[in-house]
Amino acid sequence: MERLDRVMEAYVGEYASGKSEIAINRALELRSRGRSVTLVDLDTVEPFYTLRTLKPLLEEKGLQVISFCKQDAFGLGETGAMLNPQARWALRRDGDIILDVGYGVYGARTLNLVEGAYESQELRVIAVINYSRPLTGSRDRIQEYILDLGRVDAIVSNTHLGSDTTEKIIEEGHTVIMHVARELGIPVDFVAVDESFQDSMGLDIAGIPIKYIHRYMPAAMW
Amino acid sequence: MEKVISEAKKAFMTGNETVAWAALAAGAEVMFGYPITPQNEVMHYWTRLAPKYGRGFLQTEDEISAGFTVCGAVQAGKKAFTATAGPGNVLMQEPFGMAEAMRLPLLAIIQQRGGPSSGTVVYSQQEVTLTTFGGNGEGHRIVYSTATHQEIYDYTIKGFNTAWKYRFPTFILGDGYQAKMREPLELYSPEEKGIKMVETYPLIGLPGHIGEGREPQHLCNIYSLEEELYEVVMKVSAEYEAISLELIEYQERECDDADIIIVSHGVVSRAADDAVTALRAQGLKVGCFRPITLRPFPAQALRNVLQKSGAKKMLVAESAYGQLYRLVRQEIYGETVPIDTLFMPGVGIIDYDIMNKIKSML
Repeated sequence: MERLDRVMEAYVGEYASGKSEIAINRALELRSRGRSVTLVDLDTVEPFYTLRTLKPLLEEKGLQVISFCKQDAFGLGETGAMLNPQARWALRRDGDIILDVGYGVYGARTLNLVEGAYESQELRVIAVINYSRPLTGSRDRIQEYILDLGRVDAIVSNTHLGSDTTEKIIEEGHTVIMHVARELGIPVDFVAVDESFQDSMGLDIAGIPIKYIHRYMPAAMW
Repeated sequence: MEKVISEAKKAFMTGNETVAWAALAAGAEVMFGYPITPQNEVMHYWTRLAPKYGRGFLQTEDEISAGFTVCGAVQAGKKAFTATAGPGNVLMQEPFGMAEAMRLPLLAIIQQRGGPSSGTVVYSQQEVTLTTFGGNGEGHRIVYSTATHQEIYDYTIKGFNTAWKYRFPTFILGDGYQAKMREPLELYSPEEKGIKMVETYPLIGLPGHIGEGREPQHLCNIYSLEEELYEVVMKVSAEYEAISLELIEYQERECDDADIIIVSHGVVSRAADDAVTALRAQGLKVGCFRPITLRPFPAQALRNVLQKSGAKKMLVAESAYGQLYRLVRQEIYGETVPIDTLFMPGVGIIDYDIMNKIKSML
């Protein structure tokens, strides 16, 4: 049963590229339009270092969140990877589905654990790229990285340096990412920019839409 | 060796990734390791990067072997390191003991995780005792406890130099949070900052013949006679104590007139720092003291702080149940200032936790 009116997106990318942050912001954006949204944490290796601690907050904001919490954990530690059964069948749910695909370099392959992910016509696989990360810090490295990810339907340009971000850093990163995207023929969905830049003068980002994001993840560890 | 960082550059990354880049920049030639959370990405990134820069890696069958292969590599004159955590740190105590005995320039990055356990992988600061005084020896080690990604980078580079200059096993003590969290830092090449990397050299297989132009290299790990061991331990202890003053590092803030001094290390010291700022703004005389080297411990510096401030109380805050507390007490034995504690094993400590505790102490 295909339902083309809904949004199904899987965010993949280099470790610490901003997948979770973008996924959270995207889910909340859809929710703010009154849509029903499920956010799925697909980090099977380290569910304790991800958006678990943000779950209550995100649920309060109206999202359905599939993620392990303390009550669900069953003490495997590192002796086994945990796949939440709800995550496995996430694509069968109603409403919009946003997948935050951990973990690390090969995290994108975790998608094969989600029933129907590779067959789905609706699901878009979106790579999040931060040019300030050394391993995606040049044209060649970004290209090599995206090709390594396998299927990528779109890119989110997410260059930042955390609290040290400047407009120049965003623009410089975006220029390089755009170049690679054009070469690979992959569209850039949007440029993610920290909300603190909302009032600054116009960023030069070559006509790509900007989405201002709120950073939730810094609160995820404590 | 190909230059890794051509000019200083800001980057955004995890603590584990930072270790890999720092080791590359420091000219590390080979890493030996065995996977364990939360240090896995040190290996992941090293193995992705090492081939690009002609460096080596071997995943051994366990942590005991990883530690011993580092012991072997440094004897061959290779700049080698390992990274581990929790039970891996327990297993490596045997090779770490060998490194102490043979004065091997071994560098190990420890990303602390929770215990007691063989499989718990979460954050904690519960490997202080193990890293400073683990093993069947006297704790002849140098342990830097980092708090930021910049420090992870700086001290990993420095750690290689410390190990090769002083020939004591050296540790960079991080934790699960520092390993996983992301923040900006500056990557640089040591030369660019005027840091001269200590040249490595083989400890065995030297040219020439013993007795004909050179002394024997006596790298011994086994003693058969009690008196023999006694002599060696006494000699090494004296050497360790002699260099302690130049190795000790610490930070203190707002201590001159403080009524209460917070003592914490590693990532928790960031919370203590924020707490001091907030409490000072409320007119409360609170300062903080942070040992950067947990071995050797800056005991005299802490005593001086207590003396000059005339502090009425101390608060030791840690994500463990008293490991830093025990270290502090043994190091400042004889001081009479009452010590209160905030123990949160396995749990992160934020400024509010410390502020609330301080207010309950007033």
